[in-house]
Amino acid sequence: MTIVQARPPGQVGPAGPGAPARRSVPGRIRVISGITVASLALLFAALAAGSLSARDGLTVIGRDAGPQVVATAGLYLGLSDMDAQVADALLMGKEYAPQRQAAIAQYERRRSEANQALLKAFELSGDNPAERQTVQSVLDGLGRYERLAGQALLLDAQAGHAAGPPPQKVVEVYRQATDLMRLVLLPQAYNLTLESGTIVRSTYDEKSVMVPIVRFAVIVAGLLALGCLIWLQVFLARRFRRVFGPALLAATVVTVVALLAGVNVLGRDLRELRTAKADGFDSVLTLARARAISNSLHGDQSRFLLDKGRADTYEHTFLDKSQSVIYLEAGNLDTYQAKVAQGAKNFLGLLGTELGGSDGERALEAYTRFQDADAKLRALAASGQASQAVSARLGTVRESFDAYDQALLKLAEQHEAVFRRATDAGESALDNLWRLLPFAIGGLGLLVIAGVWPRLKEYR
Amino acid sequence: MKRLLPAVLVLTALLAGACGMGGAESIVDKDAIVIGVRSDLPSVGVRKSNGTFEGFDVDVARYIAQKLGKDYTFVPVLASDREKVLLNGKADLVLATYTISQDRKAKVLFAGPYHISYQDILVRPDEPSIRNVRDLKGRKICQVKGSNATQRVLEERKVAAEVVPVDDYAACLTALKDRRLDAITTNDVILAGLAVEDGSGLRLVNAQFNEQRTGVGMHKGDVAGCEAVNRAITTMYQDGTASKLLHKWFGKAGLNLSTIAVPQFEGCS
Repeated sequence: MTIVQARPPGQVGPAGPGAPARRSVPGRIRVISGITVASLALLFAALAAGSLSARDGLTVIGRDAGPQVVATAGLYLGLSDMDAQVADALLMGKEYAPQRQAAIAQYERRRSEANQALLKAFELSGDNPAERQTVQSVLDGLGRYERLAGQALLLDAQAGHAAGPPPQKVVEVYRQATDLMRLVLLPQAYNLTLESGTIVRSTYDEKSVMVPIVRFAVIVAGLLALGCLIWLQVFLARRFRRVFGPALLAATVVTVVALLAGVNVLGRDLRELRTAKADGFDSVLTLARARAISNSLHGDQSRFLLDKGRADTYEHTFLDKSQSVIYLEAGNLDTYQAKVAQGAKNFLGLLGTELGGSDGERALEAYTRFQDADAKLRALAASGQASQAVSARLGTVRESFDAYDQALLKLAEQHEAVFRRATDAGESALDNLWRLLPFAIGGLGLLVIAGVWPRLKEYR
Repeated sequence: MKRLLPAVLVLTALLAGACGMGGAESIVDKDAIVIGVRSDLPSVGVRKSNGTFEGFDVDVARYIAQKLGKDYTFVPVLASDREKVLLNGKADLVLATYTISQDRKAKVLFAGPYHISYQDILVRPDEPSIRNVRDLKGRKICQVKGSNATQRVLEERKVAAEVVPVDDYAACLTALKDRRLDAITTNDVILAGLAVEDGSGLRLVNAQFNEQRTGVGMHKGDVAGCEAVNRAITTMYQDGTASKLLHKWFGKAGLNLSTIAVPQFEGCS
């Protein structure tokens, strides 16, 4: 490096070109320092913007929508099981008096769970007016449902019929109740769950564009700040014949560290957001939907036995829902169940991509057993053995369904753990960055002043 | 050095723009959309003599387009065109008694459903013996080209009805009144529309034996558009428009509207 104009500030040159140069030196130091500070400010502004944006993404996905899916799925399951328990109780008749009491007790528990889930869903719906109105509408409908269900149970108790379909007047009241539940309340609970998925998708799409841009801006602002710091040091070195300014050197190191840490944390958060959504949330949502639909088709089995007038309708909805969970092409239920029994592979439907791994296989096996138990139940009903059909519904069918539901729940819990881990990891990385930033900003300010101030003082 | 800042901003903006352009255009980003509706089904989607369209599907289409804030035009589609107009880009949305099925979902995206309907049975007023699908055993029903309604009776419900092939529902109607048929079975809204148009007191049995989800066909991949349509449908049910439209078009035909079913969405992804 050739230092042509290098001249210690104390030694005044003879005249001419030296004088204006000497006057401009403190000014130039101020200008270069100013630019350096501005570029550092830009770096930290970009870091702050990036981490705020990433944190917002993690909060929406991890703290709002994720719990909302769990709450609304709980609402659906609670409501759906209420209706299934009523149907079971109506089927049991006087032969199964203790079981009937147990079903009614379970109905009460489910009602209380559904109420809690409704409160939670309302709380989590925040200021989304459509979601709030949906929760309100479910709350209103639930009151009407309970009245109708209570009426059906009372009429049924008075009738004192044998196990199997209750008298027509009971069926007619139950029809009103179940129509309200299945056609009005459950779809609304289901759509609330889906709405959480919508919020997560749009947030994720936004963040996956925004965070990389901000991260790029952090790199540009960081390099700019480093360039300025080096420029400042080179300028001071030339003017003051000092090779090292320890304060500015330290400032350079701090900037490099802040830059690397910031880029690293934003990159990490982007990955954690991706993991939380793709490996966690998406599967949690899909499995919640599959469990909801499965629970509802399980209820359709009782309704099929209960309401002869609508048996065809309920058999169709059972097939339709089965196909939306695991799709195998079949024109009727017999064909479908035969195909399930042969072993389903490469199927479409909600569970199409969720049943990998050994736990997935176990879920599929449990589903196969459940469909097999259903086929036997329908054979009993078709041959007119109503009491045996009811006993199958309360025995093998329920056991195989519970095993299948538990298998799905286990899968869901695994994805929930992935989801929580990713959210926590992303947030803690951000927390660490935020803890370091004030020190970096304060330290850099002091270091730049410490590096420049003594040089400026030499001009006083 | 100060000139770098605007340069960075410009670069950033370019980057953002580039990322936003990935994939086909969503209907959310369009100013005007084209909606495919049926032209041949009274009360559901029918083209009037002056070239305009009317019916339940048409009113729902208008409502959705208005909620999305889009200008819209209608194109007529028949049952066999519905997939084609979406795949070749002639229509952005299709509301044409388009039933959601797993097979169809492989090619098109479905928003909604916007209506839950059932397969039902239409009979002459003097026909007391057909009360549900099992009563169709040994009776004559019409098979309209391209419809799978009779297959659902024969294969799914295993009811051995006698099938009479015809070209369209108008031919079914004529045959029913001439006593060459005993019943017409298909989607209940189509039957209700036929009954209202006919006006001679044909009776809807309200057997409601197969649930059918009528959805909005869209281009596959337009997830944002699908979610926006779903939100419009949610509002349509919350603000009472759905109930109003169902009563307006099908109330007179004896369709059971005692419980207006809220559609459970398919999900957009």
